[in-house]
Amino acid sequence: MTDKTEKLSDNEFKRELAGLIPHLRAFARSLCGDATLADDLAQDAMLKAWNARESFQAGTNMKAWAFTILRNVFYSEKRRSWRRTPLDPEVAEATLIANNNPADGLDLLAMRNALAILPIDQREALILVGAGGMAYEEAAEICGVAVGTIKSRVSRARKAVAEILDSNSAGYSDDSEMTAGEAFEDIMQQADNIAGVG
Amino acid sequence: MNQVRSGDMDKSGKSKSVSADLGTKRRTQRIGEQLRRVYDEVAQEDIPDEFLRLLEEADQARTSKPSDKS
Repeated sequence: MTDKTEKLSDNEFKRELAGLIPHLRAFARSLCGDATLADDLAQDAMLKAWNARESFQAGTNMKAWAFTILRNVFYSEKRRSWRRTPLDPEVAEATLIANNNPADGLDLLAMRNALAILPIDQREALILVGAGGMAYEEAAEICGVAVGTIKSRVSRARKAVAEILDSNSAGYSDDSEMTAGEAFEDIMQQADNIAGVG
Repeated sequence: MNQVRSGDMDKSGKSKSVSADLGTKRRTQRIGEQLRRVYDEVAQEDIPDEFLRLLEEADQARTSKPSDKS
């Protein structure tokens, strides 16, 4: 009786996991860039999550749990081709053009390129906290590091992105009076808000 | 949205002008929005059929196990 309370039924689990597929795809894309390889990674992670469903505790954050699995797959299966494929700005550009409203193009391209330049540990921290909806604590668990380490990576990543966007004026010319340092201070506040501090 | 911040952000006593602050905020929001859009651009795509097919197959493999008595 009570031993079942912390488990979802398989059907409930499947429904929740299916609902997370868009996030698995988005996180995978941010890790390996190439859309086909990213989907390969996301599928692998989804199936591993399914197979590990007994270890998922109902009431905890399945998205964070699934992100952890996806990230482990990405880093552990070094033989797989996604591991060796860095984010390619040309691929990013092609994807962007294929997917997007032309009016949004330059801004998003600049951001994609900025992300592509970041070291992977900073990029994943920034994506998890800044776009994936993870709290610092959750991102820290996903990446297997201390909360302070995640905060530091996010902080460095945001500063680097601001500087890259500064140096690449496409899409930013009307804010050219702003320095990266100024932007950075508020970015950190915004990150705290996004991460649900308080 | 506009919660009280409990003084944990040490801004080293620097006070910014209102206009610079507005400009910073606007630009900061833009960076945050772009970051989320790069992510959402993928997250909002239609899920390729293969994902759901693989998940269904995994589920079928479970339920068709001969030893499985639920």
